[in-house]
Amino acid sequence: MTAETVAAEQFIPGKARSDVARRVLFYVLMVGIAVVFFVPFVWTIVTSFKTIPDSVNFTLIPHPLTTEAWHIVWSQYDFELYFKNSFFLAAVIVSSNIFLGGLGGYAFARLKFPGRDLLFLLVLGTIMVPDQLRLLPIYVLLTNWHLINNFDGYILINLVTATNLFFMRQYFLTIPKDFEEAAKLDGAGHFKTFWRVMLPLALPAIGALTILQFQGTWNDFFWPVVLFSGNTSHYTVQLGLSNLHQLYTSLWPQICVGSIIAIIPVIVIFLVFQRFFVSGAVTAGVKG
Amino acid sequence: MLGARVSEAAWGYGFALIPIAVFGVFFIYPFIYAIYISFFHWGILGKQPGASGTYNYAKVLHDPVFHTALKNIAEYTVAVVPLELALGLSLALLINQKIRGRNFFRSAFYFPSIASSVAITTIILFIFSANGLFNHIFGFTTDWFGDAHTVLWSIVGLNAWTTSGTVMIFYLAALQSIPTDVYEAAALDGTGAWRTFWKITFPLLKPAHFFCLVVFGIGALKLFDQAYIVGGSAGGPNYATMTPILYIYNEAFANYDFGIAAAAGVVYFVIIFGLTVVQRLTVGRQEAA
Repeated sequence: MTAETVAAEQFIPGKARSDVARRVLFYVLMVGIAVVFFVPFVWTIVTSFKTIPDSVNFTLIPHPLTTEAWHIVWSQYDFELYFKNSFFLAAVIVSSNIFLGGLGGYAFARLKFPGRDLLFLLVLGTIMVPDQLRLLPIYVLLTNWHLINNFDGYILINLVTATNLFFMRQYFLTIPKDFEEAAKLDGAGHFKTFWRVMLPLALPAIGALTILQFQGTWNDFFWPVVLFSGNTSHYTVQLGLSNLHQLYTSLWPQICVGSIIAIIPVIVIFLVFQRFFVSGAVTAGVKG
Repeated sequence: MLGARVSEAAWGYGFALIPIAVFGVFFIYPFIYAIYISFFHWGILGKQPGASGTYNYAKVLHDPVFHTALKNIAEYTVAVVPLELALGLSLALLINQKIRGRNFFRSAFYFPSIASSVAITTIILFIFSANGLFNHIFGFTTDWFGDAHTVLWSIVGLNAWTTSGTVMIFYLAALQSIPTDVYEAAALDGTGAWRTFWKITFPLLKPAHFFCLVVFGIGALKLFDQAYIVGGSAGGPNYATMTPILYIYNEAFANYDFGIAAAAGVVYFVIIFGLTVVQRLTVGRQEAA
């Protein structure tokens, strides 16, 4: 310890100094973890702009810097098509889950009909049915209906999930009944009350559902690999990436491009709707 | 008045009709149908004449590959779940401080959880390949995901990392529900941070521990995506990445033996269900007490 620091120490209360040191250490730790979390992604982005020979080098700046891999993957390897397929499926399934999950959720939350509670238990029970058991019967069923290698089959089995219906129901339960009574006084029927009053009031729930279901469908790998494997024109981005990786094990720039394309839409949605996402994930998980 | 009630009931059924039809046709009916298939010789051309009785079950239960799948998933789950929980809780404790850029750090730590498992696995395969960035920096030569001895543990590491963000979110919610006066009392007593954590915070988080154990335990038992990307549907190298779900997939779509696949599905369902019941009765009972 130098004379200067000893001199300085006399003017700094011991507690404050150790507090400052602790804070600095804390931020170094946080930034360090964040860096570790980001390194794989940064390296992927860097590699996506490299040439194949350059991709085995450990240089941080691509030399030469090229967008060739991007062009190849997007056009030649059909990721443009896969991207559209994934987006189409996600959009349709999110919409149908909002509408049907909302409709069913509203019925179970607010309308009285004989056998409602029993039916609701049955709905909740379907959450327990694991995919590995549904797999074969659904495959047999869709084969008989000629819906294998077909978007309709995939959409049909994902039309509405019990989790989403439950999620919407729980939200409807928190909305005061005054709104419906006011609508009824205005002469609105049950559907109009649902569509014009209740659904708009459930916007926060719809936001969370949209993000979680978009992520779920966009990232889904199990069902696309089962249902679309035999038809490349129906590949989703995840299936295309898995296939690209299997076929061209060492074409790292291309594989990196594919990975980025597979991640980006969910990141964009996450950044835009961050607040919905985190609270939605917790509510859906805790209550579902 | 009666008319209004009848009409409300009719609308109720009407609204719930399509969801219930979907759940009936694609969840409840398949559940029963899967059990039915498991008792027949069922190939690519459909059901073969004559029941097979318990033949499929006997075959699955005596298949060394199925045994390997069960052994792998047991090792994987026992290793990955405590790691996920420890990492997630640590991250949650860090984020729960009064810090600048809290939202940034939370998003950064959560990021791997929301990104597609196929993409993350592919990226990590690239970084951890024999000539990859990781080995370059740390001076190893191991092919982490290509060597039968290291591959399962590499998947443990990969998934502990990607899942820790989700675990963090659950623990954060639980941490924020702990009343602050508990900590104030501890501070007044002069209890240190380490002791406060183990004596106060950790026990108060018990419901969260239990919830995460169940949710992420069941999640771990369903390992498929990462195993498929790393080792293909055959669970290579040398069955080191074979998991029960992959076994079912493989029997169905590589061997086209639906009867065996269905029987394996039923067996595995019973195992998971049994584990959940045991967990409820042991950990759950303590939890309730």
